[in-house]
Amino acid sequence: MAGSVRAVARRFLSEYGGGTAGRLKALDAFLLYVLLTGALQFGYCLGVGTFPFNSFLSGFISAVGSFILGAVCLRIQINPQNKGEFQGISPERAFADFLFANTILHLVVINFVG
Amino acid sequence: YLSAGSRLRLEAAFSFLLLLAGAQALVPSHRLAARDLARLRAVLERPLTDVRSAYYSIVGLNSLGLRVADEKAACKFIKSHVDSSSVESLFYAAQSIQVLSGCEVTISNETRELLLAAVSEDSSVTQIFHAVGALSGFGLPLASQEALSALTARLSKEESVLTTIQALETASYLSQQADLSSIVEEIEDLVARLDDLGGVYLQFEEGIETTALFVAAAYKLSDHVGTEPAIKEDQVIQLVNAIFSKKNFETLSEAFSVARAAGSLSQNRFHLPLIVVPDGPAAVSHHQPLLRLQVTNVMSQLLTQVSVKLDQAKSVSNKATVLQQLPFTLSGDFFELNFMSVKPASGYYDFSISVDGDKRFIANKVELKVKVSTEVGITNVDLSTVDKDQSIAPKTTRVAYPAKAKGSFIADSHQNFALSFQLIDVNSGAELIPHQTFVRLHNQKTGQEVVFVAEPDSKNVYKFELDTSERKTEFDSASGTYTLYLIIGDATLENPILWNVADVVITFPEEDAPSTVQSKNLFVPKPEIQHLFREPEKRPPTVVSNTFTALVLSPLLLLLILWIKIGANISNFSFAPSTIVFHMGHAAMLGLMYVYWTQLNMFQTLKYLAILGGITFLAGNRMLAQKAVKR
Repeated sequence: MAGSVRAVARRFLSEYGGGTAGRLKALDAFLLYVLLTGALQFGYCLGVGTFPFNSFLSGFISAVGSFILGAVCLRIQINPQNKGEFQGISPERAFADFLFANTILHLVVINFVG
Repeated sequence: YLSAGSRLRLEAAFSFLLLLAGAQALVPSHRLAARDLARLRAVLERPLTDVRSAYYSIVGLNSLGLRVADEKAACKFIKSHVDSSSVESLFYAAQSIQVLSGCEVTISNETRELLLAAVSEDSSVTQIFHAVGALSGFGLPLASQEALSALTARLSKEESVLTTIQALETASYLSQQADLSSIVEEIEDLVARLDDLGGVYLQFEEGIETTALFVAAAYKLSDHVGTEPAIKEDQVIQLVNAIFSKKNFETLSEAFSVARAAGSLSQNRFHLPLIVVPDGPAAVSHHQPLLRLQVTNVMSQLLTQVSVKLDQAKSVSNKATVLQQLPFTLSGDFFELNFMSVKPASGYYDFSISVDGDKRFIANKVELKVKVSTEVGITNVDLSTVDKDQSIAPKTTRVAYPAKAKGSFIADSHQNFALSFQLIDVNSGAELIPHQTFVRLHNQKTGQEVVFVAEPDSKNVYKFELDTSERKTEFDSASGTYTLYLIIGDATLENPILWNVADVVITFPEEDAPSTVQSKNLFVPKPEIQHLFREPEKRPPTVVSNTFTALVLSPLLLLLILWIKIGANISNFSFAPSTIVFHMGHAAMLGLMYVYWTQLNMFQTLKYLAILGGITFLAGNRMLAQKAVKR
């Protein structure tokens, strides 16, 4: 059982390393960073306590929001394999949308962090 | 339209019916008492300053039946101060001279022409009034019919309360041959304009001065034409209340108006308001069996040519009629009635008194509450100690007021203390139930006192019993020797009683006795209230939060390592202006976020963001377009 999991993981990593463009890999690294930051924040809250609650919420929402925008909006739209789905949207346009959405998200986050 | 005589008879019948129905007729509540008259005189007797003040003083004092101190000096003053070119000044002079005795003046032809010319439709009502008054005061001939027509014409144009009052007075100077009925009807119209305040006062909204002038003018005109003024009895009383409620007279004209009203209400042909004044409080007793009354008019002048009669006297408590149809006897200035001759029980009585003698009397039916006082006597005072188990017969000691019982009585867990007594009216022997029958126990050592109420039983015997087990809370369980007092009091008793009856030794069960008897002082400072501020939330220690801050920043390190490993670089960076502007703008936006966190509010941030965002957007657009083209 453990063996098959390891085999799947190794296969996944080799396929990933080979089949993914450099740009996407850089983006994935960013997403991993955001994920870890959010998880650590959540862990702190579970361990130590929710004071101050508004700061925790804003930090956590910033992490979650950035992850979603990066993964869902930017990554999907940039992936050349998905070009068929997004006919009218160029990667540059996707990036611009990503920046715009992030600005609004972080405006709210900064307002709430206190 | 009924003649005056039959109308009065009708009113008398109506008043009689009212009395039968037991209705309360309105009585004056205000009048010019001696003090008020003195104040009025003081204002009117001020030194003369001009012709107008001379008129107010002289005519005002004359209305009160008084004369100016130095008539010759007043006459000389007027003659020297009158302004022959002013109709008003001539009016004041003429009226004053008419009142002063031995004051003669000659009127030049010019003055006469001036006055006659003023009596026309072109002059105001006030000017006509002054001119007519001046002509009448100087004794000069006057064409009444023309004056009347000018007056009525002018009055229809200048409709106000004051001008109507002046018209009434003007008409009183005109000859009776002229048909003054149209002016007389104005009285009724003016009465309708009076404001009723609470059913007690009746006055014009212009004030008391105007109301007083109206009363004076209305009665002057009514006396002149011989017609009763259209003012009802109750309205006259309400006018009296309003006018004489003013006790302070700030201006001379105010004092003058009140003086004239007082004069006209004391002496006119139709209505004379009466006031029945009891001598001191209306109370009788065995020492003072006579009820003494005085009858005065509004100026506190005594009327003795009248007959005062008691219609009936009813007891307030049981509504029984005690006396009927008894006349008062005149003794000096007072009307007296010996009420104690019928031996009334003590209490309050409603007297219905009527004053007769003149058909003009108003408010001559008065209700008076009379108090009959008596003296109380305490009899059959029995002090006893009653055994609780009822095994021993109670020991009774009789005490006579005002002696004190010899020896002390004991009240403890085995014995109760009991007191019984009767209260009688010393003069009649009837049993009394006064308002206050208290038993006061005073602790000689601690100064405590406890007061109880003694209640009468069905046979009107007062009883009080002290049971130590029932009453220990009132006493705070403080045992000791108490002095017993009996307190009897009532409004109708002339001799309230405070009687030290006996000493009572009260013993309470030991376990309830407090160590020290504290006087219940309600006025000591209370314990201070500490305000509990809101507790700040519990925070984790600084070490923990610093550790976690470092931990949260560690993924950034990981990110940089991964990026290097992947091979991300900025080799494609083109130094085109739009690229630089874009990156600068974006960096500025991130900086703005930081500044927003530390200093700004949302509105300011949005403002800067709009500017920066606009620049960044345009630059970014250009940059990305170039990138797309390159691709």
